[in-house]
Amino acid sequence: MKIIPCLRILTLTVLCACAVPLRAADQELNLFAWSEYVPQGVLEAFEEETGITVNYETFASGEEMLAKLIAGGTAYDLIQPPDYIAEALIKNRLLLPVDFAQVPNFRHILAEYKGMPHDPEQKFTVPYMTGTVGIVVNTERIKTPIRGVKDLFSPQHKGRIVVVDDGRELVTAALYVLGHPLNNITPETLEQTRPLLAEWFNLIKLFDSDSPKTALLNGDVDLGYVWGGEAAALWNEDRKFQYVLPAEGAHLFVDVLAIPVGAKNLQAAHAFLDFVLRPEVSRQISDEFPYTNPNGEARKLLTDAQRANPASYPPARPLDTFRHLGDTGALIDELVTDLKNAR
Amino acid sequence: MQALPTAASARAHARPPKVVGWLLLAPLLVWLAAFVVLPLLVLLVYSFCQRDDLGRVVFSFTWENYERVFSPLYLRILGRSIGYAGLTTIICLVIGFPVAWFIARQTPARRNRLLLLVMIPFWTNFLIRTYAWIVILKGEGLLNALLQYGRIIAEPIELLYTPFAVLTGLVYAYLPFMILPIYVSAEKVDGSLVEAAHDLGAGPLRAFSSVIIPLTQPGILAGVLLVFVPAIGMFAITDLMGGAQVPLIGNVIQNQFLRARNWPFGAALGVVFTLLFVVTYALAQRRRRRHA
Repeated sequence: MKIIPCLRILTLTVLCACAVPLRAADQELNLFAWSEYVPQGVLEAFEEETGITVNYETFASGEEMLAKLIAGGTAYDLIQPPDYIAEALIKNRLLLPVDFAQVPNFRHILAEYKGMPHDPEQKFTVPYMTGTVGIVVNTERIKTPIRGVKDLFSPQHKGRIVVVDDGRELVTAALYVLGHPLNNITPETLEQTRPLLAEWFNLIKLFDSDSPKTALLNGDVDLGYVWGGEAAALWNEDRKFQYVLPAEGAHLFVDVLAIPVGAKNLQAAHAFLDFVLRPEVSRQISDEFPYTNPNGEARKLLTDAQRANPASYPPARPLDTFRHLGDTGALIDELVTDLKNAR
Repeated sequence: MQALPTAASARAHARPPKVVGWLLLAPLLVWLAAFVVLPLLVLLVYSFCQRDDLGRVVFSFTWENYERVFSPLYLRILGRSIGYAGLTTIICLVIGFPVAWFIARQTPARRNRLLLLVMIPFWTNFLIRTYAWIVILKGEGLLNALLQYGRIIAEPIELLYTPFAVLTGLVYAYLPFMILPIYVSAEKVDGSLVEAAHDLGAGPLRAFSSVIIPLTQPGILAGVLLVFVPAIGMFAITDLMGGAQVPLIGNVIQNQFLRARNWPFGAALGVVFTLLFVVTYALAQRRRRRHA
């Protein structure tokens, strides 16, 4: 055990000695990623191939990730923020540029997922998985047609609805219904969503971001406003769970991989980026977590059934993405707390 | 507390602490300074700060966080949390007291076996036990299936994600913390005192209220504190078993540190919360001293 710190000091000395950052191969990789998002098999295959030990630490929301990253503590080598958090990190100079020469497999990423608004110069981030937020309907129990958010939050479904416990997603749904653009979140537009959200909150049975599919599978609720990947997993379980992109509007989320300032094992980080972009590895991730895969070559390796999953690959239509909000995040939290409290 | 030595005996043993005494105390003092005093000071400083758009703490003075704590919204949440914690404490006391008394009246060998039964739940992780409750209470869960099988109900009743589920979870989690201190007090109660009460003409009710309750009071007070204080700040059970529908103060504080990334406001809530306990405790102590 004592050898490793000694080795590290030695490496550091060597590093300081030469002006050129020549260094021994990295021993470990500190990965900070969403829970239920990186398959264990992928991590093990990477460890076996490279001899690098992966320390996989998880978070349950982009905000939680940001809070822990800023608080310091562990020096993460690779983080997995959602697009709008990555944008905030780029603007605050908290990400290191990715050396794409070391990530040749990046060429497999489809053009539409390159140079997106959160990273317009395509310098700091690599898309990992993407997806939508939409409505899941248990068609055995719900016979009325559900086309959008308005049909979902109808008094006849009171107590039969699960939604993600994510203030921004719920506010966005309300903004769509009111006809506002999804990133137009100001104190005024938030105030406009209040009565609508108050009405919806009275119908909701359960707020759950971690595993909203559980309540649907258990039969405790029949309708959900959930992550596309959760809906895809439900559809794989039972075809009675149908996925609907809300008619009023829907957005695309992109979870990216990025290297934070302060990362120590840059070589290992780049090796991992290139590894997960390999088509066969990326396919393996899709097998386990059926989100929308931005890797074109990996998509070709999927089965027809996987590609036909309406929650993973919904019919193409223009989708917006979340932008960094600045201070209004706290206003959303206060609004949601207030509304839950008023029930 | 009951077993505190009297003034006379204390004087015989009490000598000014020497170097050895301080050395023995040192680990505890360091621990207290590093993990209690220091964090509380950080919390106090943060609570007067502001945040930037990423949620980093900016050191510029403001009262704003405290103004928000005392707004009707958060006072109502605090009130509801106190209600839940109070109800939990009362239920734990009503269930826990007879159990503790019963165990304390057994032979020593049986006592240990029964105490073991009280402790066994702690061998399993708290979250796993909470998930077990979800399996029991859910719509197509064990309890509903049993009630339907016994033809007590025709349709499954809603148990999970209700205030009932939250209370069940809280009582289940904290009941041992009520039983154990009461047991310690009850074990020390001299049975002949209860018999004497009966001999002097006290009925069971009178013996209970005038003899048993005063003698076990230290255990009851300790139990009430051990249940009430953690129950008021609990957030995992309200999220998992209450469906995160209605916020309690623990959820609000947790949200400030993770989701809303408003550490200064979270710190202000924490400071007020801590002060509330300190003041309540100090008042209780003063009253007790006056009684003595």
